[in-house]
Amino acid sequence: MSRSRPGGAEPRTGRPRQGWRDTVAALPWIGPALILIFGVVLFPAVVMFVNSTRDISISGVDKGSVGLDNYVEVFSFPYFWPIFVRTIVWVVVVVAATVVISLGLAQILNKAFPGRRIVRLAVIIPWAASVVMTTMVVYYGLEPYFGIINTFLVDVGLVDTPEGYGWTRNPDTAFAWSIVVAVFVSLPFTTYTILAGLQTVPGEVLEAAKMDGAGPARTYFGVVLPQLRSALAVAVLINIINVFNSLPILKVMTGSIPGYDADTIMTLIFKYIQNQHKVDVASALSVVAFVIVIVIVAVYVRVVKPMKEI
Amino acid sequence: MRKTHRIGAAVAIAASATLALASCGFGGGGGNGGDDASGTTLDLLVPSYSDNTQGLWEDVIAGFEEENPDITVNLEVQSWDNLESVIATKIQGGEAPDIYNGGPFAGFAADGLLYDVEEVTSPETFSDFQESFIANEQLEGTTYALPFIASARALFVNNALLEQAGVAAPPTDWDELLDAATKVSALGGGVAGYGMPLGSEEAQAEAAVWLWGGGGTFGDESEITIDDPSNLPGAEQIKKMIDAGATQADPGSTDRSPLMDIFIQGKIGMQVGLPPTVGQIEENNPELDYSIVPIPTQDGSPMTVGVADQLMAFQNDGDKQEAITAFFDYFYSADVYVPWVQAEGFLPVTKSGAEQLAGEEALKPFLDVLPDAKFYPSTNAKWSAADAAFKSLFGQLQTKPAQDVLTEIQAQVDAG
Repeated sequence: MSRSRPGGAEPRTGRPRQGWRDTVAALPWIGPALILIFGVVLFPAVVMFVNSTRDISISGVDKGSVGLDNYVEVFSFPYFWPIFVRTIVWVVVVVAATVVISLGLAQILNKAFPGRRIVRLAVIIPWAASVVMTTMVVYYGLEPYFGIINTFLVDVGLVDTPEGYGWTRNPDTAFAWSIVVAVFVSLPFTTYTILAGLQTVPGEVLEAAKMDGAGPARTYFGVVLPQLRSALAVAVLINIINVFNSLPILKVMTGSIPGYDADTIMTLIFKYIQNQHKVDVASALSVVAFVIVIVIVAVYVRVVKPMKEI
Repeated sequence: MRKTHRIGAAVAIAASATLALASCGFGGGGGNGGDDASGTTLDLLVPSYSDNTQGLWEDVIAGFEEENPDITVNLEVQSWDNLESVIATKIQGGEAPDIYNGGPFAGFAADGLLYDVEEVTSPETFSDFQESFIANEQLEGTTYALPFIASARALFVNNALLEQAGVAAPPTDWDELLDAATKVSALGGGVAGYGMPLGSEEAQAEAAVWLWGGGGTFGDESEITIDDPSNLPGAEQIKKMIDAGATQADPGSTDRSPLMDIFIQGKIGMQVGLPPTVGQIEENNPELDYSIVPIPTQDGSPMTVGVADQLMAFQNDGDKQEAITAFFDYFYSADVYVPWVQAEGFLPVTKSGAEQLAGEEALKPFLDVLPDAKFYPSTNAKWSAADAAFKSLFGQLQTKPAQDVLTEIQAQVDAG
């Protein structure tokens, strides 16, 4: 970084002292960012690791080290593996659906048509609204007795009980609706990332494809999509992390369901803290979640090789 | 490159601003107590019982500060949902409130965080509490909390729906309840016979209504017994009600407050409610033709689920003992305490309070059942775990065998 200083002296290789001095000189500029990273990211992360090896009482008093007992508790919890699988399903389905729909939306928004500016703004709305608010709107809509979605379904005859169906009262339907909401709130970011990617596709390449007689489908899959590779990589990676770590949607949509049939790892962490006050076990599970995210991202990078240049 | 620099500068400014703000936050929190030469500060952490709670406390504090000009009281109101996480976080951070209004206290007592309340009340105030309530706050002979407000439950009955369904009188035992609820459910049109909230909000209460009504128990101060043969009849009866279609749909994941709203709208035949429910009906649907009767039990013997919330005092600095005593003595004086209890629609726990309210018509059905009240074993340190286990697991009765659910709850309690 220091070598590419604009207007700086020519690079002096093989003189580490110079590099050190450069770093010190840069400190006033990178210092605040470093403090922020240490104070807001690394310090809490270390506290989390430490907590995961302690025995912390219900009222929050630290009672000493217990080694890896909290991790044993996490993995010996009988519902852990179903919840693990559900977490993977949650991430894969939400991210895949989001990307596919966003590819289509971005394509539409990339075409010039009257009122495009308004449509582009409309797509941002789910992004601008609070996730909890969006979810609550859907949640109340799905309530039996007074929810607007339920009333609609009853009126058109799709639900035959007069008070409606308890969509958010049954684990499978609540989970499915949560996926719908998660896709909805993930669309704006993904669409705009892909739209930005689309605008880097040079017009002459498309023209050349046309000249060579490629149809619209061929052009899209053979020419446009490969050029979107880096935009897609960003969109998918950030979505994986976001969706995996998403608590509010599932918390609102599946919160009243007993048992652990609609939980992901995030909601389980929340239940450990909120219901059982096991800060120690919750920390251990958070560490596990952290490792899982890293593994998912590593697998993705390894298999799809999104960063590879075309 | 120029652009990168500008972004870098922006990030740096944002970062330093964030840190500056954060340090302000820490500074404010660190100034705990703020004991200037003349005064003491009491931190009061309370849950919100209704929209009035904050105002009621502010009135109490204003009156108290007027009588005790050298004591300042800081009020913090939290929702019930967050209360327990907030107190745990505060304790972990070494910033426990001086006075805390909450549920189970046994965990705090076990960690040695609480005052013996006899040390922070005057003898006159202490002797004014109903003995049965004080007994409920004791752990091995020491009283760790003061009863704060009491509540009892009773069955709210929609007279019009029962009449429509051809049920002559409100049920008194389980067979009659099942019969009446089935008939009301059969009216159709989205009407449910019995409103059964087993969702996470307050599953332990509905569980107590049924399990204790069948002769069961949750245990005592030394042992939590959920997986107990005496609890099975109640759990089985819940399943029977669900299977007969006598309840609303999906009872396992229905929360109590929203369901009560449906009752108030007149779409549920019978549901167990609390004293504040009377006020809610008054406010939202005064037309509703309802009556309040004792909760039906297996054999028809009277029983109710009593709840007493507590006030407890944390031992932060030794020098606040006198201020806490002054606050408790002021708060529990009948002129301050009774209006508070009445405004929130609960029952008083002091003898002087009960005398003042003896003539209240709306509270009568509840005061009548109070002698038969049974309480949660909240003096047991494991009760918090049991409470949480009920909230997250009991609703599975809808789909799982009763015995399995009780076993699973017991297992989570024993592990917690």
